[in-house]
Amino acid sequence: MTASTTAKARVLFVDDEPRILTTMRMLFRNHYDVFFAESGQKALDLLKVQAVDVIVSDQRMPGMTGIELLRAARDLNPNAMRILLTGYSDLNAIIGSINEGEIFRFVNKPWSNEDLSVTVARAVAAARTSAALSAASTNEALATPPGPQPGVLVMDDDPSVPVKVQSILGDDYRVFGATTMDDAVSLMERERIGVVLSDTRVQDNPVISLISTLKQHHPELVSVILTDRADAGQAIELINQGQIYRFITKPIHDNQCKITVNSALKQHERLAQNPELHKRYEVEASATPPPTAATTGAKFLDRIRSLRSWVKRA
Amino acid sequence: MKLKQLLPVLIAGIAIGILGFLLKMTQSVDADLHRARLENIRAVDNLDVELNRLFTQTRASSLADSAADRTKITQRLGNDLDALDKGPKALRGLNKDLDKKLDQFLDTIEAKFELGFDFEARNTLLNQGLVNNMDAVPVNTDALLEASPAAATKEMLRPLIAQLKTELLTLSVTPTPTNAATIRDLLAQMKAGSETQSEAYRTALDSLTSSCEEIIQDKTEMVDKLKSFLGRPTGAQLQAVEQGYTAWYQGQVAEANQYRAILVGYAALLLLVLAFLGIRLRRSYGDLDKANSKLVDANENLEAQVDARTKDLSTALKDLRNSQAQLIQSEKMASLGQMVAGVAHEINTPLGYARSNASIVRTTLADIRDLCNAQDRALQLMTSENASDEEVATALSDAEERRQLVNPVEVMGDLDNLLDDTDHGLVQIADLVSSLKDFSRVDRSRNDHFKINEGIETALKICQNQLKNRIEIVRQFGILPEIECSPSKLNQVFLNLFTNAAQAIGDSGKIYVHTSAEANGVSIRIIDNGCGMSDEVRQRIFEPFFTTKPVGKGTGLGLSIVFRIIEEHGGTIDVHSVVGKGSEFTIRLPLKQQQANDSESSPSLAAA
Repeated sequence: MTASTTAKARVLFVDDEPRILTTMRMLFRNHYDVFFAESGQKALDLLKVQAVDVIVSDQRMPGMTGIELLRAARDLNPNAMRILLTGYSDLNAIIGSINEGEIFRFVNKPWSNEDLSVTVARAVAAARTSAALSAASTNEALATPPGPQPGVLVMDDDPSVPVKVQSILGDDYRVFGATTMDDAVSLMERERIGVVLSDTRVQDNPVISLISTLKQHHPELVSVILTDRADAGQAIELINQGQIYRFITKPIHDNQCKITVNSALKQHERLAQNPELHKRYEVEASATPPPTAATTGAKFLDRIRSLRSWVKRA
Repeated sequence: MKLKQLLPVLIAGIAIGILGFLLKMTQSVDADLHRARLENIRAVDNLDVELNRLFTQTRASSLADSAADRTKITQRLGNDLDALDKGPKALRGLNKDLDKKLDQFLDTIEAKFELGFDFEARNTLLNQGLVNNMDAVPVNTDALLEASPAAATKEMLRPLIAQLKTELLTLSVTPTPTNAATIRDLLAQMKAGSETQSEAYRTALDSLTSSCEEIIQDKTEMVDKLKSFLGRPTGAQLQAVEQGYTAWYQGQVAEANQYRAILVGYAALLLLVLAFLGIRLRRSYGDLDKANSKLVDANENLEAQVDARTKDLSTALKDLRNSQAQLIQSEKMASLGQMVAGVAHEINTPLGYARSNASIVRTTLADIRDLCNAQDRALQLMTSENASDEEVATALSDAEERRQLVNPVEVMGDLDNLLDDTDHGLVQIADLVSSLKDFSRVDRSRNDHFKINEGIETALKICQNQLKNRIEIVRQFGILPEIECSPSKLNQVFLNLFTNAAQAIGDSGKIYVHTSAEANGVSIRIIDNGCGMSDEVRQRIFEPFFTTKPVGKGTGLGLSIVFRIIEEHGGTIDVHSVVGKGSEFTIRLPLKQQQANDSESSPSLAAA
């Protein structure tokens, strides 16, 4: 860690528009070691010889899309934080970036220099923190923590969804259902929950603030969105402010659901055991106050904050 | 099925045929013909009798006189006999017995004719001889009287001779059976005692005797011949013919009567059948009436049902139209969305760096301003008289520090670059916005004169993000006349074809755009060297909802809309494609639109 703090962090920018790269150079050259690539292929070629801390990529590029690049980069350079900087992406691209690219942030063009700088700085910090960990404990087997097995909380207006999820996962999993956020929080107060499987809206309220608050105060909780009301803007908010782990769409496909929940539970274990990783999933402060604040707001969020942490106890 | 329909017709035909046959059989006896035949027979009979009479008369009258009459009669008889034998009134062929009798009669009458001719010929000769011998008789008697010397003898001879002459005359005209014997007796009386007479007397008597014998012989022959002629049994045979015919006729009549009886029976049978059919028909009508009243009821119900169905159908049709319109709309929204995604990205990228650059320039300018201020302050202190050296040194070092930090020479170059980039970005945005305007053509009327080449350029610019750095566009533009069309629709066509071509091309490739003027129109060829398509796919690409893209990626309406737009413009679109080699779309458009083509075209595309 001492060595890495002295050396400048390495940031790779990928865009097919060279003028963007020029701007990035002007913006970041004083703070980081900056690298540039004009296509996904060139970026991968570079990554093979040069590990970086952060990759900032455009989505729409000829030959290889940003998502394809970030997915490949995840295998090549798993520690690098991934940021999409793009002019326009349809919902499929955004869902792809969440599920396949596991991106840290989704930044729209045109961007604000300050925000971008902050985002990159956070990504750099997260990468630095976790780089030390992964270097130290790659071979350390994940020991199952004591206490009850972490459960899956399903938040959906439709009460048949938790039943369906339980039937898909089987009896080895503890699945809890909630049709309101109050129920959900009450459940979390009583039970050890590892994964929250939620629709984008519950009882007509967006879940983003709940998920965002949960992530801020209980970073080991892993959120998965399961919805049929997919919307590009919401998805971007959910990734930037909620750090959702996966985004899947209804109708529920058994296999996809099982794989996703399993993977989310593993992620929860990793996060629970390695608090150093939390930074990698740090959320962006919401620009607007959470809409739930109107009625039960502050009190409700206080309850979330004061949820006992099963992890710490363990 | 056919047989069932044919059978009643067949039966009716047979029934009518039988009726006709019976009717014909009852009418086979023609009364007029019968009368004519009988008259003909009578005429033949009369003529035969007349002929006989004529022949009989010949003894008394001159042969020459009656010859003409005979010829006439013979002529008429011949005609009537012919009529008996053949022609409409003929008796021949009616039955065998009658034919035999007729033949017999005809043979007899023919033989009679021959006898007649023979008699006529012989009669002339015999008559001549008769006349000559008759003429010789007085000469011989005179000679006889001359030769008898004795007066007593003469006295004895005179009454004998007178009686002989009378007898001979009677014989020649109307012979009696005793005539010849009387004559011979008289001659014998004259001969008695002739030995005593003179030689001359004997000679005269011999001569007289031979004359008389010749007369007797000739007359006897004549009478025999006439008898033979008259003795021909024509009358009896004709009567037999008549009887035979009458018998046949009676048979015919009897047969006709029999048939009539059968006809009556048959007619009665037919009537019965008709009556039966009538009853059945009536019953059927009754059934039909019932069925009909049921049908009327059902009809009323049906109308209600049909009304309901029609309502359902029209609702379904309306729904269908709506959903079709919705589908076309959603395809339009999808392609619009795709276009917007591309355009937004194309705009946001230059916007992104332009804005960021401006921000960088602003912060850099702040640094430069600080530097300027520091340098100003240092300069002021240096020129100020009451500033301490220490203060000046601090100010100078501060200014120098800032100058090193900012590095104005380098920064100025960077700023220039940043501003150049920003300019470039802004120009790009302006270009795109103007292309968008050209593309949509919202500021131009529906049917306008349009430069195809420009439209193609606009479409290329709009889908540039799909082509950029990947696909080479080879333009082979001809000089084209402006064509009358709906520019926004044609732009949509070009954009769709370019998008498809770009999708057909994998990593990199070429799109050839070839335009040329043709007689009364223009042709546009868009050729790509992409993956191409199979014949099965090629035949279906213009079908609505046909797509080769994965589910959710395309509605399959794009090319069908292209097809409709081209069709609406009175143009044609053709495709050639080879798998693995590429595809070629050829569009031909007319210079002018037909009247009233566009005004009421399909409403679903009207908003395009």
